[in-house]
Order: sequence, then structure tokens, then C-alpha cells
Amino acid sequence: MLIVMMCLAGSAAALILRSARTVPADPATRGDVPERLLRWAAGLLSAQRAEWGQAMLGELDHIDGRGPRWRFAAGCAGAALLLPPWGPAAAAMWVMAAAAAGAADVFAAVAVRYRLGAGGWIFAAIALVFLVSFTLAAATLLRRPGIALPGLLGGLVVTLTWLALSGFTFYGVTAPMTAPWSRLIAQVMVPALVGVAGALWGGSAAVGRRIARLAAISGGLGLYLYATIAVAVLGAGGPPSDPGSTVSYTVGDRLGSAILKDLVLLPLVTATIGWAAAAATARLRPGPALATSVFSVPVTAAGPAAEASRNPVTTPHEAGPAVRIRTWHRTAWLLLLWAAVAAAVFLAVVGGLRG
Amino acid sequence: MQRNRPPSAQAINVLRALAADPARWRYGYDLVTEVHLKSGSLYPMLVRLADRGLLETSWEPGQGSRPPRHLYRLSLAGREYVAALPSVQAGRAVPRPHNRWSEA
Repeated sequence: MLIVMMCLAGSAAALILRSARTVPADPATRGDVPERLLRWAAGLLSAQRAEWGQAMLGELDHIDGRGPRWRFAAGCAGAALLLPPWGPAAAAMWVMAAAAAGAADVFAAVAVRYRLGAGGWIFAAIALVFLVSFTLAAATLLRRPGIALPGLLGGLVVTLTWLALSGFTFYGVTAPMTAPWSRLIAQVMVPALVGVAGALWGGSAAVGRRIARLAAISGGLGLYLYATIAVAVLGAGGPPSDPGSTVSYTVGDRLGSAILKDLVLLPLVTATIGWAAAAATARLRPGPALATSVFSVPVTAAGPAAEASRNPVTTPHEAGPAVRIRTWHRTAWLLLLWAAVAAAVFLAVVGGLRG
Repeated sequence: MQRNRPPSAQAINVLRALAADPARWRYGYDLVTEVHLKSGSLYPMLVRLADRGLLETSWEPGQGSRPPRHLYRLSLAGREYVAALPSVQAGRAVPRPHNRWSEA
């Protein structure tokens, strides 16, 4: 629980720092919510379709009135999210959607079979919200250039690590993880490894963070599917449960634990530790591409003749020295990151020793 | 492999709106209001029509710091396509009139 709280605090700190470092928008642009929504969605378009995102943004700039702007931006954002070509990301997206749907189906089947009652269906609704959110988040991450393959590989590593620590058995997945070293590996070392590898692979902290997020989402989804199947197979069997508890209670408790562990704890810890590791890697190896984050900037170039206008989102090295963090700021940032990682390691070890 | 389905009734509406004055460049939002389509439907349609070569696109340079605007008009192939549309399909593609109290 301490690690979760620390990860939440770390995420909040990251968001605050990120907003503080964001380059202010061009004052000539409106910068309202519809524009930001559409700019975000346009950034997800493939390079082949980037021109259309720019077309939508250019058109939005000439629309007045809050309602019409909202309607236009929302429609265009939806179109940008679905506009082909998706390429290999589509296949990965379908696999993740199938895994989410499969997990929901297994959950529903278990709830019906063991007559879990209203509490079970409340858990099912919570799980469904998480599964849909994960699928949508994965859809946006998968469309980012250079994210899909390393992110999914990272997710595979996370999944295999947790499964290996549980002995690749349904029993092991259902039982709580007690060995201190196994917590250290699963909750700190592997997420940090994913973040470091992501930053090195992608060439920037921003890409590394996205890779860590996709690894967290895909890893959590895969493990949740596996854990739900394990509950369906084992029922009330497997590891000993609370004395005197009924079959329905035990099954419901395990399904709830799977939601908490695989859809909340694991993604949160993996994404946060991976984010910190990716950011630290980028700071420690400040090359031309590893130095800073991706910042959105307004489209101001004039037409297709300006090649730079084809992509409304700058790449890290395009952001320029003006947005580089100053030396003292960088040092403080490094200290903060490493303090977070060290605290996570310490808490994991202490928690493991107590467990 | 790119699918080559026949255009939908809505796409034909867009083609007909563009064919009304084929030489004139049109803005996306003008088409949205004229054909009564949502932007989320119009832009994928424009992408498909452009991919099929029925549409020409261009850019109007941005004025001052405003971004450039995308422009659309029928290509030669698009004009030929609209001219060859059967009358039954054309009739079906007529936009549904909007009932407005002010016009009653």
C-alpha cells in the first residue's frame, strides 16, 4: 500500500512538474479545450494522414462559438482516432481488445456460476470500467510512432516476470506474493528496466514514458486475464482462504484481489517506476534526442510548402534549446527521481521482509 | 489492400455539393453546414474521396499567425463520376430538408 501511495504521489508530482515545464501556446491561437482536444487527437494520426489533422485544426480556427467549436472538434477527434491506416497497431489493438473482452466474459461466467450476487456484479462493473479504459489508453499509445513494439515487449516482460514468480501456475497466481526479493523484482526492478530500455530504445524520455505506460497497461491486462481464468479454474480450491468463508465469498474475494492487483497496483507501479527510470535515463544520458520531452506547439506554418507544418507535434530535438531545463533544475529533478526510486526499493524490501 | 466500395449516399451528397460549382474551392466547415453532416463523418469521407482521386485538395495560406486552411474541389475524375451517377441514386442522395419552425 505504501508503494501505491508513493506512486500516486509521484504521479501527481510528475503532472505538476510537467505542466510547469509546458511551453505556453502561441497567443495567436485560442488554445481552448476543443483545440487542445483536436490537437491531441491529430497527433495520433499516422504520418500518412498528418496533413488531415492539420486540415481539421486549420478549419477549427475559423469556427466561432463554443457549441460549434466543441461539436466540430469532438467529431474530428473521433474521426482522427479511428481513421486508418493503423498498420501493425491495429493487430495489437485487436489483441488487447480481445484480451479485455475475454477477461470480462470469464468474470461474468464465474459470477454466474458461483452466484456472487450484487457484490460480484459491482466488481464486474468496476473491472469493466478498467478494461475499457485500458483498451482506449492502449489504442492511443499504440498509434504513437515507435511505441507499439517496445511497449508490448515490455508488457510481455512484465507479465512473464509475474508469472515466473508465481511458478507459472494458477495456484501461484492466486496466492499472495510473500518472498521479499520477488516483490523487489516485480514491483521495482522490472518496471525500472522497462523504463530504462524504453528511453534508450525510443531515444527520449517522453517515448520511454509512453513505452512504460503501454507495458504497464498490456502487462496488467494480460495478468488480469490469466488471474481471472485461474479463479475460474480453481474456484474455492487452491491456496487456503479465510476459515469459515463460503465458496462464493472466496471466489468473490479472489476476483476482487485480481482487480486490485492486476488492474490497479501493477499498472500504477509499473508506469510510475518506469516513468521515473525513463526520465532518469534521459537525464543521465543527455544526447541530442534523449535530453528533453515532447512538447506540443501550435501549427503556424503556412501550408503544404512548409514541410515542418506537416506534423503538428514537435519531436524532442525540434523543441529547441529554449525549452531545455536549466542545470540546477536538472540536478534537483535528478535528485527527486532517484529519491523516489530509492524510496520505492526501500519500501519494497521492508514490505517484503514484514510479509 | 484498399477497398473500392461505391460511395455512400452521404458521400454522394458531398460530391453533388461540390459539383454545384466544380471550379470553386470549398472549406471543410462549409461542407459540414451545407450537407448537414457531422465533422466526424465528413473528414473520413473526404479522405476516402481524395484517396480515390475524386477530390482535389489545396491549402489556403494562413493569414498572419492563423493556420492554413484546407480546400477541396472535384477533380476531373470526380466530375465525370458525378455526371455518370444514375438518377435513382442521385434522387436518393438528396439531403433531407430540415424542419424549422421559422420556415413553417
